[in-house]
Amino acid sequence: MKNGILMTLPESDDVTKYLSTFSKEIIGVCIYNQIPIKTIEKEKVTKSNVVSTLKKLDYKMIIFNGHGSPNCIMGHKNEKLILVEENHFLLKNRITYARSCWSVMELGEKAVERNNGCFIGYRTPFMFIIDITRAANPLKDNVAKVFFETSNLVPIGLIKGHTAEESNENAKRSMLKSINKALRKRDKDSQAIAQTLWNNYVSQEIVGNIEETLI
Amino acid sequence: MTDSNNSKERNNVKKEIKELVITRIEAQMSPNLRLSIGNQGSLNANEMIEHVKKGDEIGKQIIESHLRFIRAQASGHLLTALTSVFGE
Repeated sequence: MKNGILMTLPESDDVTKYLSTFSKEIIGVCIYNQIPIKTIEKEKVTKSNVVSTLKKLDYKMIIFNGHGSPNCIMGHKNEKLILVEENHFLLKNRITYARSCWSVMELGEKAVERNNGCFIGYRTPFMFIIDITRAANPLKDNVAKVFFETSNLVPIGLIKGHTAEESNENAKRSMLKSINKALRKRDKDSQAIAQTLWNNYVSQEIVGNIEETLI
Repeated sequence: MTDSNNSKERNNVKKEIKELVITRIEAQMSPNLRLSIGNQGSLNANEMIEHVKKGDEIGKQIIESHLRFIRAQASGHLLTALTSVFGE
């Protein structure tokens, strides 16, 4: 399997727009560390595009941004990209990070069954809070930023050569530090931010070969 | 206690939990904030409260998120976790 990353960046609603915008940081880290990255963006995030790219490019790691359910990960306008018992075997022997709701529950477990891959995802909905006054330019949304800077550490850790387990733990520790910071502020928004970060902290899980590395 | 009394008791507890969560949402969510959860888009405080009142899937997830945080605070789990990163 080749050293590289395939990443989906759908933007068919506010939620996926935020997920994709804040994922641009990951592209920068890949370029800096000379890790090949292929992105599938906006309306091109369809099942046929993703499946054919997965088959064509034998990249070790996949990052999915989008909505999800216990048994699938979605793309543009909620088209189901990867579905249990239909094409979950495409994730076999790869490192998958799914920033989508619930997907570790069933899909994650299936994806790593009887193979050497690993899957990092969420057991409950991945939640974040946005400041609607910044929605036109998500990168200027300092409320939302903390949810993505912390979760981005999962792929960034792997790009920098850490194991999947170390990258998962590092991201989770970063969430705890951000909860500390939010609670120390003691303003009206801090409780909601801390609570939502805690949800992601508790929910983010790794299954499969936790010692797997990208490099 | 009879089954009917048990059921009434459970409904009262559910109602009180919903009221608690609604109070927390009203206290925590500024008018400029939206919660992104699932594929329902981003919800303002009023929309969150509507889901909680209806008790639909999104409402249940919102309630669970509040209870998870309250339990973590009450059990000391949150404090233990936060203490583990002090000084880093």
